[in-house]
Amino acid sequence: MTTVPPTTLSEAAAVGEHVGSRPSKWARRWNWIEGRLAALVERANPILVKETRQALKSRQFTITFMVVLLLCWIVSFVGIAWVGPQIYYAAAGPGMLAAYYTILILPLTLVVPFTAFRSLAAEQEENTFDLLSITTLSSRQIVTGKLTSALVQMVVYLSAVSPCIAFTFLLRGVDAIMVGMLLAVAVLGSVGLSMMALLVGAVARVRNTQVVISVALVLMLAGAGWGLWGAGIIIISEGSAVYRQSEFWLVAVVILSIYITTFGLLHSAAAAQIAFVSENRSTPLRRWMMAQQACLCGWMAGLTYAVMESSGMWPSNFMAEIVIVTATLGSAYWFLMGAMMTGEWPHLSRRVQRSLPTNDAWRPFVSLLNPGPGAGYLFAVANLTMLLLVGLAALFFADLVPGGRGSRSAESAVYYAIFAWSYVVAFLGFGRLIINALRQWIYVPMTAAFLIHVILLLTAIGVPTVVQMTSRELRNSGYTLWQMTNPVWTLAELASRGVDNVQGDILVFILPTAAIVALLLNMRSVATELLLQKTPVPVRIIEDEAEIEAAVPHRPSSPWDVDEEPA
Amino acid sequence: MFMPRRPLIEVRELHRYFGPTKAVVDMSFEVYAGEVFGYIGPNGAGKTTSMRIISTLDEPTYGDALVDGFSVVDDPDRVRRRLGFMPDYFGTYQNMNVVEYLDFFARAYGLRSYERKRAIEYAMDFTLLNQLADKPINGLSKGMKQRLALGRTMIHDPAVLILDEPAAGLDPRARIELREMIGRLAADGKSVLISSHILTELAEMCHRVGIIEQGQLLAVGTVDEISNQTETRSEVRLRVLDEPDGVLNYLRARDDVSDIAFRNGQVVLTHSGGPAEQAALLRQIVDTGFQVVEFASKTKSLEDVFMHVTEGRVQ
Repeated sequence: MTTVPPTTLSEAAAVGEHVGSRPSKWARRWNWIEGRLAALVERANPILVKETRQALKSRQFTITFMVVLLLCWIVSFVGIAWVGPQIYYAAAGPGMLAAYYTILILPLTLVVPFTAFRSLAAEQEENTFDLLSITTLSSRQIVTGKLTSALVQMVVYLSAVSPCIAFTFLLRGVDAIMVGMLLAVAVLGSVGLSMMALLVGAVARVRNTQVVISVALVLMLAGAGWGLWGAGIIIISEGSAVYRQSEFWLVAVVILSIYITTFGLLHSAAAAQIAFVSENRSTPLRRWMMAQQACLCGWMAGLTYAVMESSGMWPSNFMAEIVIVTATLGSAYWFLMGAMMTGEWPHLSRRVQRSLPTNDAWRPFVSLLNPGPGAGYLFAVANLTMLLLVGLAALFFADLVPGGRGSRSAESAVYYAIFAWSYVVAFLGFGRLIINALRQWIYVPMTAAFLIHVILLLTAIGVPTVVQMTSRELRNSGYTLWQMTNPVWTLAELASRGVDNVQGDILVFILPTAAIVALLLNMRSVATELLLQKTPVPVRIIEDEAEIEAAVPHRPSSPWDVDEEPA
Repeated sequence: MFMPRRPLIEVRELHRYFGPTKAVVDMSFEVYAGEVFGYIGPNGAGKTTSMRIISTLDEPTYGDALVDGFSVVDDPDRVRRRLGFMPDYFGTYQNMNVVEYLDFFARAYGLRSYERKRAIEYAMDFTLLNQLADKPINGLSKGMKQRLALGRTMIHDPAVLILDEPAAGLDPRARIELREMIGRLAADGKSVLISSHILTELAEMCHRVGIIEQGQLLAVGTVDEISNQTETRSEVRLRVLDEPDGVLNYLRARDDVSDIAFRNGQVVLTHSGGPAEQAALLRQIVDTGFQVVEFASKTKSLEDVFMHVTEGRVQ
């Protein structure tokens, strides 16, 4: 038999190596720490363990680490020489911190995310992805493992720069909050970019396209790196005064909420890309979409509250603007998400059907989270409807309806919300009907379905615009009813010039009618999806569950849960 | 005689289409515990496609496959715990040695602590990789890599092993070692589904074979069963002490015998019956008064059966 060497001293002691004198107090403590670390590694994600092993042996990692270390030394020596005797009385910290931050941001925004992309792309190239995907690791574990290994690399690069950053404290002009903010921007930025790179790596399954995608990704990372560097420099140059402003923290919370929900969405999307086809890949994505919607509502409520607090009243124009901004962001968001969701495959796998809700009252609502183009369409419509109803309710309770007719009035906001809702419902609905029709004859993947929605929208914008621009009579007449299919022009005109300029009294009948027609035409197939019955779990699964349960040793949950010992 | 216990692999009406190309068409068969099932077919016949479906790497267009009673489509996670797949390529990780490679896959299959160590030790012992534990996997020979791949495939002690062309590119010694390993795995009660182009090897190690061509399973069974199913005629060699003319005339008068010739002191003929009919023929020749000193029916090789079943359309 081969002997695999013990990995810790405690294990070695357990197998009888190190037999001899009693270990010292420090040795025992070290053994204890090593034992805890070994237990931690035991529970660690296997991908993290593998990638860390590989990274620590890789030439790329060694070279990058040495370059970062070398640049830090050079900056330290050159910086001190440059500052000269002023170092004793001038605040030289911010300048040096900016230089160290510049060194740090390079590996964190370029090297680490690109390595994360390559680690997933290389699995495809080196034929290891198949081997990985038939292990018991879930797709989420694979993505999380790749991401945490990127995080480990970040920590190593940070450890190289951290003594230099600590050194800037001695040079004055730098405080802990500034350093904390700076590192938070760098690390969160790097983690976010790594997540994005992993999603790109998961999507780029075809080897031939990987070169093009790699170049595009590097350019994107370079741009994002430049942005993060700029954000860091602003934090350093603004100094500590900015932290005393409540708006700064409000904006930080908003950015953080965007970050967290987008991160969750990207993570679920990357996991969905590499998951097996019969898995439920849609529900986690839809939960994150709902979280983003909740955030949007929260920002708007927070903004309204902040303005109320400062002015002591509900300013009508401002409230109308809030509704218009919410409707614009919400409509764009749900159109994009809806365009993707309506491209999902209409047949639920038996695996997903087994997990359908059984409660008849709740089924239609919970089923909206299930995969399927019909459920996706209704999910987008329901969310947008809820968002706009909340906005309109805010207007109603502010006693602003009816408001004065004119630009940015409450009336414009109400019309704007109705029109935006109608456009999204109609475009997604008619697009889905086209996709359904095409799917009777040919295979339409999700990408093609998304493109169909985009083409439909561009046609609705482009055709009337071209007609009006080429018509001698209409060319200079501004907005006309010819543009009713053009959501961009209609909504922009409505927001800037008011209801009368877009003949709102006519459109308020036409657009919602078109939306309701599209909705009704889709309802049959939507209902088919939502009313699907839960299928019974196969006997073999029940048997397996029982076997697994029987194999788990029973642990007492209370002192009374122990079998009585025989007398 | 191999005695089937329970099917660990059940393939049911499996279809896989790639656009207009029909890679797998209506394939059904079963593989039992402790059985080595050979998968034979020319390149592009659909062997790898069907193996990938059973290994939860691809989905069928229609039909299903069950591994230990679990659907590969509906319950891939449960199937993966019971199945080890060795593809026809070796997936290499950079900067990794043999023991780290096995350790990673053991972790990935959820093996913890001493359970993992024992699994690695067993896999290295089984595949004779003990001396190579610290060797970088990029520096291994083809045969060593195949052994490592087999070690990886069996690291979580799966009940089902699917091996796609495991002997391709191996030298004779490595092939013999591999054959012995597969035999030991089957003796341990594992189901082994194996594909290979080297038919003589498959014939030696497989309990049953399935012949596949253009996505269709043409025949399933032992070599003898397939031979009997597909071709009832067999070549018989006969030697008598008497003058050959008498026996030749006697045989020419029979309806169940054809292609009669006298070569190298032997009467060579084609008989259209099975073993029972051949025994009857021998008895009748002896009863007629001929002194038979040798009566031999030629055993068909797997290659003969394969060529006959596929009608020689090997690509």
